[in-house]
Amino acid sequence: MSDLLVIGAGLSGLMAAYTAVKAGMRVTIAAKGLGSMHWGAGTIDVLGYTATQPELPVKRPLEQIQSLIQQNPQHPYALLTNEHIAQTLATFVALSKDIGVPYGGATNPGDNVLLPSPAGAARPTYLAPKAQLAGDLSRSEPMLIVGFEGMRDFYPELIAENLTHLGYPARAAFLPLKLITNRRDSNTVQLAQGLDNKEQRALLAAALRKIVRPGERIGLPAILGMDAHITFLAELERETNSPVFEIPTLPPSVPGVRLYKAFRGHLQSLGVRLTAGLEVISTQTTAPNGVPGAVQWVESATSARPLKLRADKFLLATGGILGGGFNSDVNGRVWETIFNLPLTIPQERADWFNPGFLNPQGHPVFKGGVKVNASFQPIGANDQPLYANLWAAGNLLAHSDGIQERSVEGTAVATGVAAAQALSG
Amino acid sequence: MNRIQTEVLVIGGGATGTGVAWDAALRGLKVVLVERRDLTHGTSGRYHGLLHSGGRYAVKDSHGAAECIAENQILRVTHAHCIEDTSGFFVVLPEDEGEYPDKFKAGCEAVGIPCVEIPVAEALRREPLLNPRISRVFEVPDGSSDSFLAAHATAQAARNAGAQILTYHEVTSLIMVGGESDRRVAGAVVHNVVTGEDTEIHADMTVNAAGAWTGKLAAMAGIEITIMPSKGTMVAMNHRLVNTVVNRCKSPSDGDIIVPSHTVCVIGTTSINVPEPEPLRIEPWEVKKMLEEGDKMVPGFAQARVLRAWAGVRPLFQDTYTSGKGRDVTRKLALLDHKEREGVAGFLTITGGKWTTFRLMAEATVDDICRHLGTERPCTTATTPVPGAEQGHYWVGHRLHEIEEKHLQSELVCECELVTRTMIENAARRNPLLTLDDLRRDVRLGKGPCQGGFCTYRATGILHEMKKAGSWEVNMSDDASSAAKWEVAYLQSPGHNLVSDADSHEDNGRAANTADSFNPNLLLRDFLQERWKGVTPILWGRQLKQERLDELIYMSLMNVDHLPDKELSSPVTEFYLFDTTPTAEEVADV
Repeated sequence: MSDLLVIGAGLSGLMAAYTAVKAGMRVTIAAKGLGSMHWGAGTIDVLGYTATQPELPVKRPLEQIQSLIQQNPQHPYALLTNEHIAQTLATFVALSKDIGVPYGGATNPGDNVLLPSPAGAARPTYLAPKAQLAGDLSRSEPMLIVGFEGMRDFYPELIAENLTHLGYPARAAFLPLKLITNRRDSNTVQLAQGLDNKEQRALLAAALRKIVRPGERIGLPAILGMDAHITFLAELERETNSPVFEIPTLPPSVPGVRLYKAFRGHLQSLGVRLTAGLEVISTQTTAPNGVPGAVQWVESATSARPLKLRADKFLLATGGILGGGFNSDVNGRVWETIFNLPLTIPQERADWFNPGFLNPQGHPVFKGGVKVNASFQPIGANDQPLYANLWAAGNLLAHSDGIQERSVEGTAVATGVAAAQALSG
Repeated sequence: MNRIQTEVLVIGGGATGTGVAWDAALRGLKVVLVERRDLTHGTSGRYHGLLHSGGRYAVKDSHGAAECIAENQILRVTHAHCIEDTSGFFVVLPEDEGEYPDKFKAGCEAVGIPCVEIPVAEALRREPLLNPRISRVFEVPDGSSDSFLAAHATAQAARNAGAQILTYHEVTSLIMVGGESDRRVAGAVVHNVVTGEDTEIHADMTVNAAGAWTGKLAAMAGIEITIMPSKGTMVAMNHRLVNTVVNRCKSPSDGDIIVPSHTVCVIGTTSINVPEPEPLRIEPWEVKKMLEEGDKMVPGFAQARVLRAWAGVRPLFQDTYTSGKGRDVTRKLALLDHKEREGVAGFLTITGGKWTTFRLMAEATVDDICRHLGTERPCTTATTPVPGAEQGHYWVGHRLHEIEEKHLQSELVCECELVTRTMIENAARRNPLLTLDDLRRDVRLGKGPCQGGFCTYRATGILHEMKKAGSWEVNMSDDASSAAKWEVAYLQSPGHNLVSDADSHEDNGRAANTADSFNPNLLLRDFLQERWKGVTPILWGRQLKQERLDELIYMSLMNVDHLPDKELSSPVTEFYLFDTTPTAEEVADV
C-alpha cells in the first residue's frame, strides 16, 4: 500500500514523485510506457514564444509569464506564483546535478538561451543539459558542426548553412560513421552507447583534433555517450582544446534518455517503486451525490492478470494527446483515458484545427485539457473537486499548448512539483 | 522567347498524356509533352490504383467494360512492374442480394471478362477479414496499379524513343493561326514555372490531354467542351486489410471498392460534381461514408487506423449528358477531333476513359494524328514493354526482401515505406524534382504511418548535402538533353540502388541550373504542409497522436517555424496551403 500512486513516468510524474518522496510519502509510479522525455530535445523549455508575438523568441520567460497569464488567466502557470515557478526550476537544477545530468541556463540568469536546433534554427530554452550549453548562440566563437557520413538523423551542412544565414558563423564537416560504430544499423541511442567505449572515444577525439581550427567550438549530434557523457565531454574539450557541445537529434532523444535513466535510478534509490508496462485499464471510484468522491484503486494490465494498485492518493500525470492521456474518435469525442475527467477540448472536429501545419496560433484540440483547482485537483462543472484524493499535473492540464509555446517541460516541472506539494501538505 | 518546333505537342502529364507521347514517339513522330506540375499531379496521381477487369461496368456500360478487360491483359505485360496481380472479388452482401449478381455474371461473360463464382468459404479463407455474411463471391482479374510509377515508366519509354518531356511547364496560351474559315492550333506558349522562361512550341498537331483541366485548355482555342469534373474522395488505411481487390456486387456507388496498394489499402470513392478541378475540399461526411461502407465489406474497417484522405477528379465527358449524375456517364474514351467538330484544325482532345484504358486512348489519339498528318504508321504500344517491365509484377514484400538480402538496414531514410538513401539520391538525379512531394511520387517517401514525421527532415538534409557537393542540380531547363538520364525503371527498388549516381562522378548530362530554386527550408515547409493537407480530414485517435509527435519534432525540437527564408514559395506552395480542415457546417451535415 502506497501513500501516493503516480500514473505516468514523464517529467511531471517523476518530479511529483520526487517531491512527494522527499516529503516523506511512500510513492509508487505506474506507467504505460517510458514517458515523453524520449522524444524531445532534452531541454527544459519554460516559455519560448507567445501567440501575441509568435516570431520573437521570449527573452526572459519568468517575466513574460506574467503577461501570458494576463491574456490567459487559466494557463497552468497561473496556478503558481512566479517565485514558486522559479523554486521548482531551482529544485530541478539541483536535482540534475545530484544525479549526474547537470543542467544550466543562460549566462545572464533569467534569460532564455538560444541553442542550435537540428535544422539549424535558433531554439529558445530556459535550461539545457550542460552538454548543450557551449552551443549558446550569444557566444562569439564560430562553430564547426560535425556529422557522420550516412547517419540518418543529423545533417551538419543544413545546420551550418541556416545558422550562418541567421548570423551565427558555422561550417560543417563529416567524419566516417564507422569511426564510432561497426553496427550495421544504429539509432541515436545505440550510437551513444557505443561511445561509452573508451577506444571509440579516443578515435573520435583524435579525428576531431585534426579538423578543428583554433578558436572554433565543436557541435556534434547528441550521441556523446549514454552513461559517461560528462566525462567524455571533458575529454573531448581537453583533446581538441575547444569547447564542445551536443545538438539534439530526431527521436529517440539521447539527452532525454539520459535524464530519464538517471532520474529513475535516483527515485528508486529513494525507495520509489517505478514500473513501466502498467497501463491502467479500469478504476474503482465512489461518487456520492453532491460531495467529492474518492478513487479506491486503479487496475492495470499485466501479462498474467489485471493488477489492482491501491493508494491513499492518486496523481494523474499521463500527458495530453501525445502522451496518451487523452484519446479521440471520428465523431469528435475526446476523452481522458483513465477517469474520463471532463476536458475543455471542443467535442466537435470542426473546432479542432486552424488551417496550416505551422499555424502560429496553434490548434484548439491541442490546447484543451483537464481543469484543476488551485490545489491541482481535477474539478467538475461546479468547480468542485471530483475526487477528494485525486490530483493532476503536467501537459494534460487545460489552457496551454506546450509545443506551440515551448513550455512543455517548464509546465511539467512546475506543476509536477506544485501538485505534489499540494497533496503532501 | 525560346522556340521549339515539333510534330506533336501533348499537353498533360498524366497517364493519358504520357501514353500519347509514348505511342507517338514509337511511331517515329517528333513529340514534346508539357505538364504544369510534376507528372501525375492531376487525377492519375490521385486515384485508388485499381486496374479494372471491367467487372464494375459489366452491367451498365458494356463498351467501357470491354475496353477495360482488353487493356487489363495488355498492361499486365507492357507495365508488368507497375501492377500487382491481386485478383478481384465481387462480393454479395445481404443487402445486395437480388437480380444484380446474375446480371453481373452474364455481363462479364458477354464482354469476355473471366468471371468465376467461387465458394464463400474459399473467399473467406483467402480474405479472412471479409464479412462472413456474404452469400456469393465472383472472382475477376482486377489488379492493383501504381499510377505514379506507370506514368514515369511510360514517360521514360517515350523519352527513349525521342520524346521530350517538360514538367513544370504551364500552357499560357495556344498559338492560333488562320481566319474564320481555316482556324488552326499551331502549338502553345508555355511558361517554365521554375525559371520563369517562356517558350513557344510550334506543332503540327496539338493534343489536349489535360484531364480535369481539358475544358479550360479547350477554351483557350475558343472551343467549348463540357467536362463534368466529378470529385472522388479516397481514404487510405494503415494496413492492407485485404490482399485482393474487393468490390460490392451491385450497381456502382460510394465507397464500394477496397484496393490493396503497397503496404496499405485504399477505399473509394465518392462521386460529386464540382465546379473546378482544384482545389478540392474533402468533407467530413465523405470520410465517414467511406469508413461506414468499408465496414460493411470488412467488419472492423471503421475502427482501423486511417492514414490519409485525398480527392481526385474524373474528367467525365458526355456530349449530351443531362442527368447530371457522375456515375451515369459512360467511362469509355472520348476522342474529339476539333476540325470536324468546330472547324479548328491541328487540335485533338482525348478525355473520358480511365487509368486502365490510357494506352487505348493514346492509340486512338495517335491513329488520328497520323491520319491528319497523312502518314500511315501502325501502333506498337500493345506489344512494347516499358523500361522496368522485365522485373515482373510488383509484390508487396519486394522492398523488405531486397533490404534484407543486400543488408541495407542502415541506409533506410523512410522506415515506413523502406526507402533507402541511395534511392532518394538516384531519384533526385534521374528525375526532375522540385519538391519532396515529387520524391514521394518517385519512391513513396512519406506515405507511411508517420506521414513524413521523420523522413521530411532526413530527405531535406540529404538533398541539401547533394546540392552542396555539386552532385545534384535542380534542373528544369528546356534543353532537350537535360534529362538524358531520366531513368525510372528501378526507382522503387532498394536492391537496384546500391550505388549512388552521385558517387560515380560521371556527368549526368544535365546543364547546371543557376536559378536559386532549391532552398532546403522551403522544401521542408512545403512537404510538411503537403502532408498536413492530406491528414486534416482524418485526424483523430492514433493519427492525431502521430500528428502531435510531428509537431513536437518540427516545432519544439527543430523550430522550423523560425527558420530563415520564410518569404520563399514554390509553384506548389499555394496548392499545399489549401488544406481541408473540416468546417462547422460540414460537420453539422454529417
